Amino acid sequence: MHALIQGLILGILTGGVYALMASGQTLIFGIMKVVNLAQGAMVILAAYFSYTLFADFGVDPLLAIPLTTAVMFGLGVVIQLVFLRPLKREDSAQLSLLVTFAVALLLEGFMSVTWRTTYRSINTDYANASWTLFGYQFTVVRMIAFVLSLVSLGLLFLLLNRTRFGRAVRATVQNPMSAELLGVESKRVAALGFGLGAATAAAAGSVYGLLYPFNSGSHYDLISELLSIVVLGGMGSVGGAVIAALIVSTSSAVVATMFNPTWSSFTFFVILILVLLIRPQGLFGTVERGAL
Amino acid sequence: MSSGNRLRRRVLVAATSAAVVILASACAGTASTSTSSSAATSGTPSPTTTAPLVIGASVSLTGDFADSGKAVKAGYELWADEVNKKGGILGRQVQMKIVDDTSSPTQVVTNYQNLITQDKVDLVFGPFSSLLTIPASQVAKRYSYAFIEPAGGGPKVFAQKLDNLFFVQPAPVVKSGDVYADWILSLPKADQPKTAAYAELDDPFSAPIAENIRARFEAAGIQTVYKQVYPAETRDLTAIMSKVAAANPDVLVSGTQSEDAYSQVKSLVQLKFSPKFMFMSNGANSPVEFPSKVGVNNVNGIMSTADWYPGSPAESSPAFVAAYTAKYGGAETDIDPSSAEAFSCGQLLEQVAAKTGKIDNATIISTLHQGTWPTLVGNLSWDAIGQPTGSFSLIQWINQKLTPVFPADVAKAAPVYPKPNWGG
Repeated sequence: MHALIQGLILGILTGGVYALMASGQTLIFGIMKVVNLAQGAMVILAAYFSYTLFADFGVDPLLAIPLTTAVMFGLGVVIQLVFLRPLKREDSAQLSLLVTFAVALLLEGFMSVTWRTTYRSINTDYANASWTLFGYQFTVVRMIAFVLSLVSLGLLFLLLNRTRFGRAVRATVQNPMSAELLGVESKRVAALGFGLGAATAAAAGSVYGLLYPFNSGSHYDLISELLSIVVLGGMGSVGGAVIAALIVSTSSAVVATMFNPTWSSFTFFVILILVLLIRPQGLFGTVERGAL
Repeated sequence: MSSGNRLRRRVLVAATSAAVVILASACAGTASTSTSSSAATSGTPSPTTTAPLVIGASVSLTGDFADSGKAVKAGYELWADEVNKKGGILGRQVQMKIVDDTSSPTQVVTNYQNLITQDKVDLVFGPFSSLLTIPASQVAKRYSYAFIEPAGGGPKVFAQKLDNLFFVQPAPVVKSGDVYADWILSLPKADQPKTAAYAELDDPFSAPIAENIRARFEAAGIQTVYKQVYPAETRDLTAIMSKVAAANPDVLVSGTQSEDAYSQVKSLVQLKFSPKFMFMSNGANSPVEFPSKVGVNNVNGIMSTADWYPGSPAESSPAFVAAYTAKYGGAETDIDPSSAEAFSCGQLLEQVAAKTGKIDNATIISTLHQGTWPTLVGNLSWDAIGQPTGSFSLIQWINQKLTPVFPADVAKAAPVYPKPNWGG
């Protein structure tokens, strides 16, 4: 029983980290119908940025988040302008898979050259700290990550629902052509939206670097998990991604503690397949239009 | 039309002749590079030959094994520099011919094939990793070359049963942890752990090491309270470590690679569980990486194994370290053990030449099969299929420094047990 509850705590807290990583992924899909295979690489890149800031300049990885967020936003906009904008609208959904995969490989190569392939990890004095409560361990970094993802997702929600830009984004998601007819500059929205998705990778990267050792190849495992979360939640739904992230992490943590870690990813895929059989659009996805 | 055809034909002729010229010059190129060494290989090389001794090796300068491959290259080239300063081998200057195999098992075959048949190198050294050593050693076998190799110690390497292969480490990989079982079972019965947990990465270089120790422990009556093999993609080991903590073993034996070792320690610290004894097959033996990943305050008391390590008692170690830091810069702790293993390959050649006065492949193969050979990575000897018959050194983090503690002939401090708590 103790192990089960410890597993649940672990799963829920880790779910926050995954929600943070997957929100950018699903946002980019929602706005542009682009399946961004570079999202994992962008998370790792942000992790390297905060690693360098911490190791060489002593900047705390959490305090570095505003800076890395700005850098990742800029990078996201540039990637959209250089690689994705030239794609023709009709086949951009399929082509974007190849293009973003190429971007992921490009980033991976850049990272292996810059930081080499040895594993890195951001080791602050609180990196391994945990609080004991009723005999259960609450890891400080995971708690911070959980709160951070709630804050980021809250800010994202406000941005999408309470600002002019957010309305433009949602309009573009629902019907790009009508939005354009009503004066929304969909190209600008797409660039900024991709930047926004990349920006969420900044906070995720800091947290990832605090929790796990990483190298340039870490993004492969990461992207497969992020894609599964996004599909389970319903592609384009930020709320769905959060719920799906929690399902993924709690189910795998509980299975790993109660049974066997070999089965934990298997269990998740069983859930994914069952959900897709019953609701092909995912938990919170809509069939025709995007939802945010 | 006809003029068009003629034109096309003329272009074709021009192109073909250009190609012929290029081909011819390319052939001339290879011919001219190989003449210097072919003189040395044709006929039995006698001590009077003064042509350079060319040693070919394929290492991974790009791809998955690039970092380790570069460390191997650094070791080979450092040895060549050092031996040439001493006047070379039997008066012949050593020339390393190192080519990149991009970490690919097919490229490595092409490379050794070219080194032996085109470049006609006198001798070859091995590549990095068991994956590449296996196909490469087959090529060497085909041409009856001695295959002295620093980094292919997996079971499949020895399953080939090659008599020309010599693995330049103290023991095969799967037996590298046996020294830990030797130490634990040498303790007074009252001090020995009663219960053990095993956390093993599902990898041919990790789980079997822990399994060997488990067999020894169980035979000695140490009860297994938890055992888990985890797949390589398990990023978060907290779940497994919380099971370990719940089982509360006296000793935790971890068959680890690198990042999973870091994750295990981080999780155990977070779960506030510190076993009395702790052994990790790999990851914990890296002097710089390990403390930087898990925190310097969390390393003390953890044990691992090594062949060469900073402060190694090997006789040639101080000179090696001085030469390494002079050539490449950095500190002693920055030296990758792979460089020391590569350097040791060369040390073996020097000794064979000194002992026999000859340096051809047949002599090397027959000579190395007898006797014990002191190197940077210990005193080596091999069985008929190239498996080293020695043992690794047991090292422990004491006062945040990796210190050899067992067996007695290498120990610089008494082993510390029980392991201090995290942060201590």
